[in-house]
Amino acid sequence: MKIRPVPMLAIAIAMSMLISSLFYLFAQTKQIPIVPFWEGGLLACFILVAIFTIDTHRKDPKRTSIQWKLSKILFLGLDLAFLLFVFALMFTNLLSPTSEFKFAGMSAVFGYHLTLPFLVLVASFLVIKDSINLLYGYSPGGKEVLVFYMVRLSAVFTILLLTGIISVILYKGIGAISWEFITQPHYKLGQEGGISSCIEGTFWLVMGAMLISAPLGIGAAIYLNEYSRHQKLNRVIYIAVGALNGVPSVVYGLFGLAFLVATFGISLLAGSVILGLMNLPTIILTSQEALKSVPNSLREGSVALGASKWQTIRKVVVPSALPGVLTGLIIGVARAAGETAPIMWTAVTFSATSVHKVYGIVPDVTQPVNNLCYHLLNMIYFLGAWDVEQQAWGTALVLLALVLSINMVAVIVRNHYRKKISW
Amino acid sequence: MKYRPEICMDPPNKRGTRLSRRYGDRFVETVLFSTAIVSILVMTMIFYFLTYESILSFKEVGILNMLMGEKWHPAGDIYGMLPIIVGSLIITVLALVINILVGIPLAIYLSELAGPWSREILKPAIELLAGVPSIVYGFLGVIMLVTYLERNFQMLTGRSILAGSILLGVMFIPALTTICEDALRAVPKEFKEGSLALGATKWQTIKHITLPAASSGIIAAVILNVGRIIGETMAALLVVGNIARLPIPFFDAFDRGAIFTSVIAGEMGEVAHGSLHYHSLFAVGFVLLMIVTVLNISADLIRTKIQKKFGGY
Repeated sequence: MKIRPVPMLAIAIAMSMLISSLFYLFAQTKQIPIVPFWEGGLLACFILVAIFTIDTHRKDPKRTSIQWKLSKILFLGLDLAFLLFVFALMFTNLLSPTSEFKFAGMSAVFGYHLTLPFLVLVASFLVIKDSINLLYGYSPGGKEVLVFYMVRLSAVFTILLLTGIISVILYKGIGAISWEFITQPHYKLGQEGGISSCIEGTFWLVMGAMLISAPLGIGAAIYLNEYSRHQKLNRVIYIAVGALNGVPSVVYGLFGLAFLVATFGISLLAGSVILGLMNLPTIILTSQEALKSVPNSLREGSVALGASKWQTIRKVVVPSALPGVLTGLIIGVARAAGETAPIMWTAVTFSATSVHKVYGIVPDVTQPVNNLCYHLLNMIYFLGAWDVEQQAWGTALVLLALVLSINMVAVIVRNHYRKKISW
Repeated sequence: MKYRPEICMDPPNKRGTRLSRRYGDRFVETVLFSTAIVSILVMTMIFYFLTYESILSFKEVGILNMLMGEKWHPAGDIYGMLPIIVGSLIITVLALVINILVGIPLAIYLSELAGPWSREILKPAIELLAGVPSIVYGFLGVIMLVTYLERNFQMLTGRSILAGSILLGVMFIPALTTICEDALRAVPKEFKEGSLALGATKWQTIKHITLPAASSGIIAAVILNVGRIIGETMAALLVVGNIARLPIPFFDAFDRGAIFTSVIAGEMGEVAHGSLHYHSLFAVGFVLLMIVTVLNISADLIRTKIQKKFGGY
């Protein structure tokens, strides 16, 4: 395709307007110094698109090709009219820094620094759309280019989101991290001291949860995949696992409150059981996925050598499925470490001290503990009252680092073994 | 390897007659069976305990009053769930819009467009995003999103239905993307190649061939995500404002609101054990559980039904 300077120029101008308007949409400055640039840009885009439209129309001798359908002309005209409208709003000062809008009794005011960048954003997007469409003569190819750029934007958005979350928390939280912060319990309602009791509590809660969910989950997966011969029973179990997987975490909390707290009180044990049950479906599903991927020839080979069913499973099937099972377990650990709602009323209190240990190793399971997530929640509640923002960022950083590094390990384990094992 | 004929010559059934071994196998099977039954047991127990604890409040207030009452006012012992239901509905719809607008294009990008290099970066990034704890999202929501909305829209407080929808919508993008990508990948290559061979562009192929073929998986993923959005607790609790009243006008997303989970998590901490308020919060949980379970089962059914009808993936 030969290069055409007119639409290219329009796209370039519109691009710069798009980016600058996005910037001002989020920067929310009271004054916008580049309004003259937007005015000029809109006018230039209007003229360029109009010229290009007339030019292509003139060059098309028969005027029968698909782009000159009435609807196309109509939409193009509407877009250009919108451009002029936004230009006029700015040029006549109808939309000045003091203007405000309210719609239909909504409890929000749409001010100048919000509406203007938004209108410019829409206008520049329309210019880009029309220019690309004209450039490709309204063929499917032009549409493809447009849609694929938007699809790519979603990927950019995801990457920006992740890096944004990590960098903001790292930047704000790194100042709070010190040896004391990690190794001392908090006092004065979290204003001073550190989070050692929370780290300890999280550790024991996760340990307890895995002690319950790992054997139950892996056992259930083995039964479902290797033993079960009843189609109906399988179906019922699958439905139950699927339903359990969807049960909201707060409902687990209610369940624990009604079922366990009545007998054990607010304790490490109750929290571990609830977290373990919550993890159960994840572990069943991932382990089963892993067991399913073990080819039947391995089982047949083992049985042909005279091994019993259990020997086959123990010595052949489970070891081959181990990477997948392990990934599921690690993800379960990360989930248990990051959940707040199920343990809010069952295991944690803000004032809990560090875990007492019987014989120096085994934790006393009947006492309440503190937990990183719950500590962060309390810090957020205290934000308005006391100066705990630094502590909150620090706690968030520790929590995020913990959970993300566990998840990272899961990803690495899986990728490593995926390359290694090939049936 | 050393060849040991004495083991291989033994017929298996003869060795299998050893008692300990036969009963050992039977014993293992029983143990494994009981672990498999646990999930059914837990599900029934959850249903039992939530019904048991909420039945009192349903009896006292009346089922219709409870579900359709226009006021949720614990101090006056008035428990009507309509404001909560309306709030949940608005938040779910708005969050789902954001969720679908980013999540499905991302799945299309991953399964159809991405080169090996960008896949290598994006896949772990999505998995990590899915792992970010909800309380961290809530924290960032309180500190950044709420203040942004407050300043930009000159609201009394930025804690609003809109803030909740944005946060929940963004939170569950990875969940939607992963399932949708699996569904899109399961579409056989022959379909796409046939379409491309007929001269369709890549986008036409995706729009008319790949997406319809994967529709059962995508619809199921969206329904599952509705359940996740309704059931998310911590992030919602921190940013929706937690005032259970009907927004006026009803589409006012800038008002403060409440959803099922935020009401339970916000009020359960300070409620007297065994009071009507306590049982009413269990009733809210019961309604939530019912909605989510119905959504989950219907997602499963829809997937199998569409698959049977159209042979989708």
